[in-house]
Amino acid sequence: MKILFAEDESDLREVVAAYLELQGYHVDAVENGQEALAKATADAYDIIVMDIMMPVMDGISAIRQIRQAGCTTPAIFLTAKAEIADRVEGLDAGADDYLTKPFAMEELSARLRALERRKREYKVRILSFGNLELDTEASELRAHNSIGLAHREVRLLACLMGNTGREMSAEELLRTVWDNEPVDIDTVWMYISFLQAKLQSVQANVTIEGDREHPFRLREI
Amino acid sequence: MNQIDLYGPYRETMTDVMRQMVRQIEAYSKEYETSHGEKLYEHLTCRIKSETSMIEKLQRNGEEVTAYSALRSMTDSIGIRIVSLFIDDIYENVRSIKALPNCVVVREKDYIRDAKPNGYRSYHMILDVNTASKDVDGNIPGHYFVEIQLRTIAMDTWAALEHEMKYKKSISNQELVIRELRRCANELASCDVSMQTLRRIIREG
Repeated sequence: MKILFAEDESDLREVVAAYLELQGYHVDAVENGQEALAKATADAYDIIVMDIMMPVMDGISAIRQIRQAGCTTPAIFLTAKAEIADRVEGLDAGADDYLTKPFAMEELSARLRALERRKREYKVRILSFGNLELDTEASELRAHNSIGLAHREVRLLACLMGNTGREMSAEELLRTVWDNEPVDIDTVWMYISFLQAKLQSVQANVTIEGDREHPFRLREI
Repeated sequence: MNQIDLYGPYRETMTDVMRQMVRQIEAYSKEYETSHGEKLYEHLTCRIKSETSMIEKLQRNGEEVTAYSALRSMTDSIGIRIVSLFIDDIYENVRSIKALPNCVVVREKDYIRDAKPNGYRSYHMILDVNTASKDVDGNIPGHYFVEIQLRTIAMDTWAALEHEMKYKKSISNQELVIRELRRCANELASCDVSMQTLRRIIREG
């Protein structure tokens, strides 16, 4: 597990880095946001831990640019500022969590463990239901045969596969899968039709219940 | 036996049988076009398997190199390929072929529903076709096998490339090429199914 750690106070930097390494993490410690940005875009990290107030480039600017560069590594801010506005700005800039200084080392490592757990959950690559397998990374649907899926079809099916215990309305699917993009219910219906045809084509023993009047749900035949 | 004369006296009848089948397919398609206003397939090709390929195939399968083996052990000496725009059209053609007189389906395999592991998709039919002329068993009327392959344009494009790869002696990154071909087959199938679904949606209004 590799951590990128940015902190300008050298004493704190050394203590935290030593503690995390003792916990079994590999730590790359840097002094400011500029260096963090350079490291984060050049190397792959599992978690980023970053101070907000730093010289050269502050933590908020750094995380904003790191996110703009397409990096989605979970990030946690360490901040001396206890003001709500700063925390809000940090989270909105792309951080996943924050910790107010002074903090207990145990709490920092507990929060790191929580982020790791979340990251693993995000990365469930293959979803299964009935004889159906959805490979979200390869965008492939497999049962007796396999077939490719469009990006939106993957998200729609993943959503249905994650909610097999309940019915989902077209509005709910629109909200979840289309992120409130300006599309209407007909789009949901069309993608349900695409998926329905593809489920048949791979001979899945799974079908999508529901139609224009009724909510949707995945069911084994 | 002379290599170029494997089919011997049966070659002429084979060509007749092939032409007769093509005429029948064209006829039902014409009829469909008149009543539905659209073609049932995009194009159709046919061939008598070259004697060189047939001899090679017989040897590979441990069969005797004779006209009898070529026309009885093998079923693809006469081949017709029907290429259509949409998946539904394939099944419409299959229905029409089954309704044709003078022939019975002896074997069929739906590689669209059951795609081959490499990604190959097509519908295969082997027909036993009756003809007034003599066959290799000496029967009159005679019986000849005709293999019909039905696929969409996307499946046809894929099969053409896969064929090219298979017959090329050496390619670098063969494993990668095979894997990517398989992925392409899945993407093309995805488009075929989506286009089919869209056509249904458009037609339902």
